[in-house]
Amino acid sequence: MKSKLRFADTLGLAWLGLRARSGRTALTSLGIAIGIAAVVAVIGISASGRADLLAALDRLGTNLLRVSAGQGILGGPAELPEDAPAMTARVGPVEAVSAVARLDATVRRTELIPEVETGGLSVVAVEPDLFDVLGGEMAAGTFLDAGSSRLPATVLGSVAAERLGVSTLAYQQMVTIDGQEFVVVGIADGLQLHPDLERSALVGFDVATAEIGEAPLSAMYVRVDPTSIDDVVEVIPTTVNPESPDRVEITRPSDALAAREAADAALTQLLIALGSVALIVGGVAIANIMVMSVLERRMEIGVRRSLGATRGHIRRQFLTEAILLAAIGGLVGVGLGAGITWGFAAARGLPVTVPIEALFGAVGVALLIGTLAGLYPASRAAAIPPSQAVRGTR
Amino acid sequence: MTSTKAIPLSSRPVDVAIVLSLADVVKEYPGPPPVRAVDGISLDVEAGELVAVVGPSGSGKSTLLHIMGALDLPTSGDVVVDGNAVASMSDRELSALRAHTLGFVFQEFFLIDGVSATENVAQGLLYRGIGPDERSKRARSALERVGLGGRLGHLPSQLSGGERQRVAIARALVGDPAIMFADEPTGNLDSVTSGEIIELFLALNAEGSTIVVITHDHELASRFPRQVRLRDGRLEMS
Repeated sequence: MKSKLRFADTLGLAWLGLRARSGRTALTSLGIAIGIAAVVAVIGISASGRADLLAALDRLGTNLLRVSAGQGILGGPAELPEDAPAMTARVGPVEAVSAVARLDATVRRTELIPEVETGGLSVVAVEPDLFDVLGGEMAAGTFLDAGSSRLPATVLGSVAAERLGVSTLAYQQMVTIDGQEFVVVGIADGLQLHPDLERSALVGFDVATAEIGEAPLSAMYVRVDPTSIDDVVEVIPTTVNPESPDRVEITRPSDALAAREAADAALTQLLIALGSVALIVGGVAIANIMVMSVLERRMEIGVRRSLGATRGHIRRQFLTEAILLAAIGGLVGVGLGAGITWGFAAARGLPVTVPIEALFGAVGVALLIGTLAGLYPASRAAAIPPSQAVRGTR
Repeated sequence: MTSTKAIPLSSRPVDVAIVLSLADVVKEYPGPPPVRAVDGISLDVEAGELVAVVGPSGSGKSTLLHIMGALDLPTSGDVVVDGNAVASMSDRELSALRAHTLGFVFQEFFLIDGVSATENVAQGLLYRGIGPDERSKRARSALERVGLGGRLGHLPSQLSGGERQRVAIARALVGDPAIMFADEPTGNLDSVTSGEIIELFLALNAEGSTIVVITHDHELASRFPRQVRLRDGRLEMS
């Protein structure tokens, strides 16, 4: 002869208890739902952002260096020696080099626009292989090749294209560079690591020297064997400018992305901490409501004891109810958080990434909170002597 | 019904089938001043009896009921329920005893709102580990026994007071308890309905159920075959 309560019946009892007070159940689990939604959304959004960042890094590579001429001691125009690209290409781990020259010229939509309104845009002479070295993409048209480099043709960076009002190449578009008409043959994209190029009209070296003027080298983009980056960084200054290596500046454009990710990670942690506070508050709310519930339901406890429930059964019933309450909040929160992530990522054009561990982790955390919140009220319920419970005395 | 689960006749003479035995039971609540709610009561209830414990409020009726029903332990004295000495039993054992051999009916019915009569009655078998189908089946037949065969799916809110108390009685007897306790079962009912509940107890008793009814109502008690009068925690007459 034993008193036993089946597991399924324990769940049924807990569900019954929550259903009987559905309004209270909804409000109480709301706290957990908000907390879980916040945490899941923060994790999801940051994961989506990171996935985007990693994809960008993958595409752009971390093994690209930008070598530019630093300002001379006396100021003056900064330029790299003419043989710098050739010298650099000779360094072992260097895979490719492409030099650019910033020209003293303006780009305008038409002749009619005053020359002073440059829109912050510049004109840069480039080699046809620049695009391969940078790993860029074309939004429209094609990049310069050996042929178009010699002609008055230009490729616009995405910002430059927007400012010049060139959004399509469906029909022939012309821009005015240094007073001459240039055909737009392409619009470049995916140069977010190179803001200076995004704001430029790119032309070939040949046409630049022929039509615009001197094209002293201002920078080189160097693609390096990823395992030897540090070594290359060390030797480049003396290779490029043996006389004054301190006038050579080397930057790694992908560092900007890495820095952004570090900043994102710090913000993410802060937001998760805030979400966790919401979770704790939600847990306290559950504990609070359960304690109240135990006081109100003294008679029910008494009847159950008279029907043969042990102290353990009463404890289990109330504990399960608290856990179920948190689980409902947790599931709603996960759904909400995933939805927010999806909406945010879709609006920003990011890949939707909700880490599956975050979802399971969130539900797990909700269950843990429910357990902790339910322990005290449940043991209070179990401690009421049956004879007092059926009397309903407080 | 009780007869089906009673001790085999061959092992015990029928007239000594005692399902409840109190011997010099005292219940004292610590003071100051200490209160003796039950003061030396000895009482035997045989299988198949219908006993009314009657006394004014404050006479110790409820305390006595809790002790008889293993909801509370006496300060001193012996209580034997269906062969089990209650004093030495743990909470688990007492709970098992209540789950398997005792049934309770309360003045306020204490049904679960929002759940059908059948499901309410089935709660009486919940702590025996019986599956839901078997519980419902036995709950339906218990409801038929109390005359509510046509109200199986009704919610408590759709039932009259008398019907609710019948549901509560069905819940108490669904597990075929060796003894059923009813604490002021007609306290919340009008006189006509009360009469019907009394008739139900008499009918159930005629079928073999052992029932102890606690009441302050002498007129009601007088309709039962045996009456135990309680005053200031002592028996006046048995």
